[in-house]
Amino acid sequence: MGAPLGPLLEVSDLRVCFRSRGEAVHAVQGVSYTVEPGQTLAIIGESGSGKTVSAYAVLGLLPRTARVSGSIRFNGVEIVGLGERELRQHRGRNVAMVFQNPERSLNPTMKVGNQITEAIRRHLTVTREQARERAIELLRMVRIPAAERRFHEYPHQLSGGMRQRVIIAIALACEPALLIADEATTALDVTTQAQIMDLLLDLQVQLGTALVMISHDLALAASYAEDIMVMYAGRVVEKASVQDLFASVRMPYTRALLDAVPRAELEPHAALPVVGGLPPDLSKVAPGCSFAPRCPEAQPDCRRTTPKLDEHETGHWWACWHPCEGGQGGQKGEPGELGE
Amino acid sequence: MAAPAASLALGVPDPGGAAPEGRLRGGSVLRSLEITIPGALLLVLLFFCFIWPLVYQVPSPTYGSVLNANLPMWSPGHIFGTTNVGYDNMARILYGGRTTFEVAAAVQAIGLVVGGLLGVVAGYAGGIVEAASMRVLDVLIAFPSLVLILAIVDSLGQSELHVIWALSAFSIPAVARVARAGTLRLREQPFVVAARLSSVKAWRIIAGHIVPNLIPQLLTFSLLGTGIVIILESGLDFLGYGIPDPAPSWGGMIAYGQTVMSVSLSPLVVPSLFLFGTVVCLNLLGDGLRGRWGVR
Amino acid sequence: MSSASEAAAAPGGDVLLAVRHLVQEFVLRDYGGARGGVLQAVSDVSFELRAGETLGIVGETGSGKSTLARSVIQAPPPKQGEVVFEGKNLVGLSHRAMKPVRRHLQMVFQDPFTSLDPKWSVARIVAEPLAAYAVGSRAERQERASSLLELVGLDPARYGRRRPRELSGGQAQRVAIARALVLEPKLILCDEPASSLDVLVQAQVLNLLERLRSELRLSYLFIAHDLALVKQVSDRVAVMYLGKLCEIGPVRDIYRQPLHPYTLALLASIPDPAPGSGKHATRSVISGELPSPLNPPSGCRFRTRCPRAQELCATQEPELRPLGGAGHLVACHFPLSGGAAPTAGARERGEPAAAER
Repeated sequence: MGAPLGPLLEVSDLRVCFRSRGEAVHAVQGVSYTVEPGQTLAIIGESGSGKTVSAYAVLGLLPRTARVSGSIRFNGVEIVGLGERELRQHRGRNVAMVFQNPERSLNPTMKVGNQITEAIRRHLTVTREQARERAIELLRMVRIPAAERRFHEYPHQLSGGMRQRVIIAIALACEPALLIADEATTALDVTTQAQIMDLLLDLQVQLGTALVMISHDLALAASYAEDIMVMYAGRVVEKASVQDLFASVRMPYTRALLDAVPRAELEPHAALPVVGGLPPDLSKVAPGCSFAPRCPEAQPDCRRTTPKLDEHETGHWWACWHPCEGGQGGQKGEPGELGE
Repeated sequence: MAAPAASLALGVPDPGGAAPEGRLRGGSVLRSLEITIPGALLLVLLFFCFIWPLVYQVPSPTYGSVLNANLPMWSPGHIFGTTNVGYDNMARILYGGRTTFEVAAAVQAIGLVVGGLLGVVAGYAGGIVEAASMRVLDVLIAFPSLVLILAIVDSLGQSELHVIWALSAFSIPAVARVARAGTLRLREQPFVVAARLSSVKAWRIIAGHIVPNLIPQLLTFSLLGTGIVIILESGLDFLGYGIPDPAPSWGGMIAYGQTVMSVSLSPLVVPSLFLFGTVVCLNLLGDGLRGRWGVR
Repeated sequence: MSSASEAAAAPGGDVLLAVRHLVQEFVLRDYGGARGGVLQAVSDVSFELRAGETLGIVGETGSGKSTLARSVIQAPPPKQGEVVFEGKNLVGLSHRAMKPVRRHLQMVFQDPFTSLDPKWSVARIVAEPLAAYAVGSRAERQERASSLLELVGLDPARYGRRRPRELSGGQAQRVAIARALVLEPKLILCDEPASSLDVLVQAQVLNLLERLRSELRLSYLFIAHDLALVKQVSDRVAVMYLGKLCEIGPVRDIYRQPLHPYTLALLASIPDPAPGSGKHATRSVISGELPSPLNPPSGCRFRTRCPRAQELCATQEPELRPLGGAGHLVACHFPLSGGAAPTAGARERGEPAAAER
């Protein structure tokens, strides 16, 4: 495929801070990771973890109130600090994003096909006929039946799953090297979710696109991703391949995430092992590990010094002073603890 | 830290400080200016119309000597000049403004109370109550507003009170519509469904849940509509159907100014500017508040 | 159908809620108010719920599960059928006659920020049902509201005066739960109570609901789209598709031995958190799109997406009949019978491991 040397995307020490009325919200605090061509990376976190904000930074979609520092290099080209014109080129051509809400991402007054051709013609110089053909080809590629007919339909005539496919088609219109799916299947039914994820994977293989899937669902990531990165309160707390992560979960937060998800193997009426409390307030950056107030393994030094993300084992990074002892990410810890 | 419950051991105490405190105040500095500047200007105008004449000797707007007739602007003792029978124009502006604001306030108050109540009850009750009341209001709305108002004043006779009744026929249906639409929307909100599920009485739901959540919307609508009411009122005066002479009114002054336009512009321009300025300030204020309160 | 509904009753207390042949329709209006199509959101659904048990209702978009919940609380009342709660049919009861019933039947909604009045304080919200029933004096009502806030893990001194906007999602949902409990109900309908919450907070709220259930001897009708979650909290599970009940039975049976192809598809679509479940394993065992609820397929509504559909499925609608273990019913002409639970390999093929028809 003639892939360029070096990683496709290289994020180093990314920091994003929002200023509003004297308050600074530190949404992302020093995040670093790389994405190779064709790789599937899952970024896992809850709300407030900074996962979406960091993705927006990669796309250059942050509002002007955001202060971005650090480096984001795409194929060696620095994204941070680019002007709007270059960013527009960058988006769609290099990176594309699939958002969570299919309703809000599509223009309800425009035919579906036209939305795709619009995306095509923004980046490629083709005739209207060529764009139309490509659009129909894309609709077929995302497995929408009766593509020619659907081309002329409006978003409200399509189901949620189909709308999401259209969005994927738009995202892939110019064959970007990197696709970011931000909770792309969260709003969909579980059966549709499976269909869409399968589609994304097949397309990935077909087109060689790298995929970054952002989610709160560890199980989903486990089924589809090669590597997982867990974020909490704006920082990366654990990073590993799927196998390594599940073979030995280190970060207590990751373990808490795993334990908190109801699994079909558990007995009915079993209490879920639960971590109490709430994510921290991002406008106050306190010293020490941001998970310490809620962590069942917390020790005094956890609150004093912020743990650094280090590769403690080959291919497995974590930021914790007292990680779990490894072993399966199974049910451990006190069941039935209520928060607050 | 949180005190553990007496009845159940709750375990992990709340680490505290994590829950967001306080409501987010709206907007940036710019939005504040949008509210404070027009608001301040209106307050100044209100002050001069209502309070100033009580403390300072302002010449009477309906008493004057023909010897002082037709004085131009900036004459000593008569800043805005005088009319053809010697009435002081400045005083006429102030007292005319007083009338304007009185009428506008009364009309909007009636609209809010009567129209609001009507709309909320119709929206909540639904069925035949809603259908009947809305059709009656539809009839009123169907008329062009000025025509309707003229007809009412004409049949009732000219007076400030009758002008207020006539203009209410305009404001009541307008507010009722907005109130009904808002009520329909709120009625389906889960918190209203939950209240019904707890057997809360209908009037309690209306008073406790629907009205408080409707007030920002109604208030901003009213404020934005005040400008229209003022224009309608001045229109009545202009046509000679409003406040009867010699009581001053901006519309009446504009009518007079039109007749002497070829000789002197100031009798036309001055009241027009006041009218224009007031309506613009009201609209800016209403818009600003709507943004601040997040009303759709 | 009476034998079927008897078979559906699980061991437990007396029957608390019996829903019989429930039908709920919505008339769609075209422009100008003319009658458009009729959408039958719930079609002939019957089941029973016994005191002390949790019945989970699972379905995806368009299944009618939320509409079913609303029909049970009569908001709005169903077009046809019976809802027998504590021996009394609620359908057709006047608003006043419903008042004593509502004390025992409450609901927790999905989004706490729309199910709590944004202008009310937390303490007032929780005390409102007590005021509606004129229970005690105002001071006594406040007392009770405070003790309930403590029960759900919120310090009343700290949170009582706050507005819902000042709370997190999990905290707000606890307030909603406290409000549902204040009249000491017997049955609580939970309409996806945790789906709008973060993972860790979701677990907190579910644990809370479980604890309250055993402490206060409640029964739940638990509506969800997440099968794994429903398994955690339910004694029995009912699966709905396009307004119809596909399968109902004890939770272990449903998960170990699903009989309806749709249930199997749902189970297969759950992402498997076990490591190495294989990246390119095709998980989706269901094809096609959800048909329009305005025009559901003839016969069995699932047939357009079912890998086992035959001619009979198009002409005759399957009835809910007992199969498998006790209390296990399925509405299918060609149910999956016998066989073990779907394994990873089987999920890939969409078929149960053992031999079947």
